[in-house]
Amino acid sequence: MPRLRLAALLTITASFMLAAAASAQQKTTIGVSLAQDDNPFYIAMLRGIRARAQELGWEVATVSANEDKLKQINGVQDLIARGVKGILISPIDAIGVNAAYDAAAAAKIPIVSVARGSTSPNQTIHVAMDEKQIGRDIAEWTAGKLGGKGKVALLMGPSGAPTFKNLGDGYAEVMAKYPGISIVFRADGPLTRERGVKQAEDALVANPDLAAIYTANDDVALGVMQAVNAANRKGKTLVTGMNGVPPALRAVKEENLAMTVELNPVEWGRLGVDVLNTFLQGSKVEPHVFIKHVIIDATNIDAKLPKT
Amino acid sequence: MSYRSSLAGQIPLLTLLLLCAATALLTERFLSPLNLTNILVQSSIMAVIAMGMTFVIVGGGFDLSVGSTAALAGCVASMVMLDAGIAAGVIVGVFAGALVGVANGLIIAFLSVNPFITTLGTMVLVRGIVFLITGGAPVSGETGLPGAFVAFGSDRLFGVHYLVWIPALLLALLSFVLHATPYGRRVYATGGGREAAYLSGVRVRRVIASTYVWCGALAGVAGVMLAARLQSGQPTAGEFYELTAIAAVVLGGAALQGGEGTLYKSVIGVLIMIVLGNALNLLNVDSYWQRVAVGAVIIAAAAAERLRSRY
Repeated sequence: MPRLRLAALLTITASFMLAAAASAQQKTTIGVSLAQDDNPFYIAMLRGIRARAQELGWEVATVSANEDKLKQINGVQDLIARGVKGILISPIDAIGVNAAYDAAAAAKIPIVSVARGSTSPNQTIHVAMDEKQIGRDIAEWTAGKLGGKGKVALLMGPSGAPTFKNLGDGYAEVMAKYPGISIVFRADGPLTRERGVKQAEDALVANPDLAAIYTANDDVALGVMQAVNAANRKGKTLVTGMNGVPPALRAVKEENLAMTVELNPVEWGRLGVDVLNTFLQGSKVEPHVFIKHVIIDATNIDAKLPKT
Repeated sequence: MSYRSSLAGQIPLLTLLLLCAATALLTERFLSPLNLTNILVQSSIMAVIAMGMTFVIVGGGFDLSVGSTAALAGCVASMVMLDAGIAAGVIVGVFAGALVGVANGLIIAFLSVNPFITTLGTMVLVRGIVFLITGGAPVSGETGLPGAFVAFGSDRLFGVHYLVWIPALLLALLSFVLHATPYGRRVYATGGGREAAYLSGVRVRRVIASTYVWCGALAGVAGVMLAARLQSGQPTAGEFYELTAIAAVVLGGAALQGGEGTLYKSVIGVLIMIVLGNALNLLNVDSYWQRVAVGAVIIAAAAAERLRSRY
């Protein structure tokens, strides 16, 4: 029996390794550490990274953390051990994974944050959206639709991630200018559809006359939409998203989702690679690079729908 | 029994060595000093949790609350540290972990509630407490945790991270406790057959409760280490650590029905899990395949464990 056990373990590990062994290479390799590998935003971003890297003749090595900070530090260490020339990272948290930046700096490897950023002094460049401005733009749009009055719920992102705090701060800053609008519900949580359903259900039970629900992410918005439709509040409670992923665009077309913000994560990935490339060639790059955003609603959705 | 202690007893170690050899053949970077010390520091925190889990599993129990407990300890330690210094923070953090262990132990041993349900309950409850005391935000103060504490999470002593010395020392100390004292023998006796242990004069309830206190305190130590590594107290830290720890203990040859298991082999089980992840990263295996691989290894270990206990 012990032999059987050994054989089972070895067969499994060996088969995965042999599958991977084919990827031996001599080209420039860059490392990519994603906060999650199952969120459409990061999946699209990675697609952009891979596409741009291929054009440059680079290899891409990826590690994923699935929102586990320690795992992200470990993954970056593994990338460094692998000998990558530069790292693109989307840090889970502004402080928690600073050890990853320290490790890259110690190995003299540039580390560029894409999307979420870090407080680490060793962050080479931060490629990001203008978060507060997006929050303000969503709030202005929402306030306009509501005619400046109504109850609003905020479904923010994971606690501790500055992106979602900045978005929410920008949003709240604008809403504070409207005396008729009150924020009656505010909650943090992971960027999942499941959590959107649950929190929206709770928010709607507490405030059946909610006029709008802000969400920090399209996946959350898609969950919120389900709860709003189940409560027969479609068209009465505006749901706003953020990111512009394809299912959210379809939802805007079907008028389940009032609006979303197109961030075009594929372009983020491409921009991240370009910024890293410029840096590696020795040119000067500003420490903060902003990506432009576009509001998508019923007026421009037809031009934005993915071609099928 | 005889073959178990000879060949089968060394299977975790053989698995680890073969895994290392296979990876070293596929990429020369695996054996670089940087990567080897990386593996040790990556294993350090989980090794401490797995040692605590070994006490509980050998005693015939189960603890799902270790991840939440580690988060609690890390956050409490960070909060206390910001006001009262590093030593106070570390002590209070570990103490908070032990306290969760005391609660688990009392409920399981003296109220005879199923350990799976009890620790599932404390897992959720403690996570809630962590969010309550931190307001859901990471704890790092205005200017970060004390510099010496952060340095402890990244600096080295004799070429190896401080974080690695802790499980090394704990392994020596706890191996003595579990494998060479009358108390340790009572833990094995209780886990191997509670009735028999009771009839031969072991105070089984106390023994069972004590294993959860070890587990909680060690999860507390791991939580403090985690805070040093993450340079902050992180309320969301440690999610799913209980599953990795249990998988590692089983990979190390412990029996889930109790009475069997060795501390150093549990640490080897942790190393197998970490080396597997490290190898898959170095070989650039897609992260979706990594999930499949890790899941498959856990099932393989559990299946082998089942087969072994049948024959």
